[in-house]
Amino acid sequence: MTFPLTDELMEYVRAAHPRSLRGVEEARQAGGDDFGPVVEMFLTWLTAVRGRQGIVQAVDEFVKFSTEVNLAQARYEADGHYMHKSFAELLADHYSSREAMDDYLWGVFLTNVLWAHHFEICLFYRNRFLAKLPGAEAKIVEIAPGHGGWGVWALHRLAKSRLEGFDISPSSITIAGSVSAAAGVGGRARYELKDALDLAKAPPESADAVINCFLAEHLERPAKLFEVIARLLKPDGRAFVAAGLTAAQVDHIYEFRRESELVKLAEDAGLRMTESFVGSPRRTLPKAKFLPRSMALILAKRKGEFL
Amino acid sequence: MSDTLARLNEVFHDVFQDDTIVIARQTTAADVEGWDSLMHVTLMINIEKAFGIRFSSSEVAGLKDVGELADLIEARKKP
Ligand SMILES: C[S@@+](CC[C@H](N)C(=O)[O-])C[C@H]1O[C@@H](n2cnc3c(N)ncnc32)[C@H](O)[C@@H]1O
Repeated sequence: MTFPLTDELMEYVRAAHPRSLRGVEEARQAGGDDFGPVVEMFLTWLTAVRGRQGIVQAVDEFVKFSTEVNLAQARYEADGHYMHKSFAELLADHYSSREAMDDYLWGVFLTNVLWAHHFEICLFYRNRFLAKLPGAEAKIVEIAPGHGGWGVWALHRLAKSRLEGFDISPSSITIAGSVSAAAGVGGRARYELKDALDLAKAPPESADAVINCFLAEHLERPAKLFEVIARLLKPDGRAFVAAGLTAAQVDHIYEFRRESELVKLAEDAGLRMTESFVGSPRRTLPKAKFLPRSMALILAKRKGEFL
Repeated sequence: MSDTLARLNEVFHDVFQDDTIVIARQTTAADVEGWDSLMHVTLMINIEKAFGIRFSSSEVAGLKDVGELADLIEARKKP
């Protein structure tokens, strides 16, 4: 098997971003035989939306985003707390800024496959969540799709499934729409500009699957997000939730310190964790006190207190 | 070597724990063992402390070589 787009990406990283090569090589190692096929799939969608030049642009955005993350982590190490505390300041400065958000979302798109611990989460998602979703006709809700990649992957695997995605950023609605179209599943996806927490009024028990990656740490009160997920899920549905712990970013507000905090939020909302995975970067800042982690949980709806 | 470059060289010694490093304007990550993305940020934080300045993330991400870094420090030091 050959992976021409992946080879092109690796070559560009080597030539233009030598400081980032080590991390990307770590992702390749983490992915093993899965690295080529999964990255090629992501890049096929990317180039269908942005043309061949899209690889260079997205790698530049990925490097900028990753540098921002590392710098935020270094400042977090010094300060002992995240930079921002309020969602309102981010809504005005960040989520609503079209140009910055476009770059940000394509940068994030690539972190899912070019950060070693996020590649591991991709494999956990594919092998433990997507592979077990019931029937091809599943109704999926994606909360905070951003670039849309996670949900589009689900639509790609489940031929007759349909997806509704809700994000607060106009960039997300456009980009997720074009990624789903590029992947040939656009007719089964619909994206709407909406605050996730407004889904508290959505029809209950309407989704076979809920996907929500890397939103909880962006909220002031993530408990509400878990209540929304519990409300949306059908009794036999499954949710996939991922979040960052002691992992600073400019737009991270809620500082999860322990894995049990996420499990507790899910349990308090009437959910039960059936599986989980925690990944961390292969290297940390020298003398780091915090280990940045990303945790993914597969959740089922609890039917009684112990069922 | 200019004052800025000389002071910068000391920061490189501290961060990479290698007193044999000699930087020049054209030095890049490819010339210094261990200058990856994490060490880059560590280097920048130490430079901020040494020169009493603060960088933005786009400045930190965009630097291609030591020359650009020295110019950025000079520009920032001006009142
Ligand atoms: C870090 S990105 C994650 C994107 C994607 N799910 C992923 O994992 O790669 C966070 C996303 O959450 C969205 N978001 C932030 N606050 C939100 C809210 N209250 N309701 C819905 N979406 C929100 C942002 O616009 C952005 O698209």
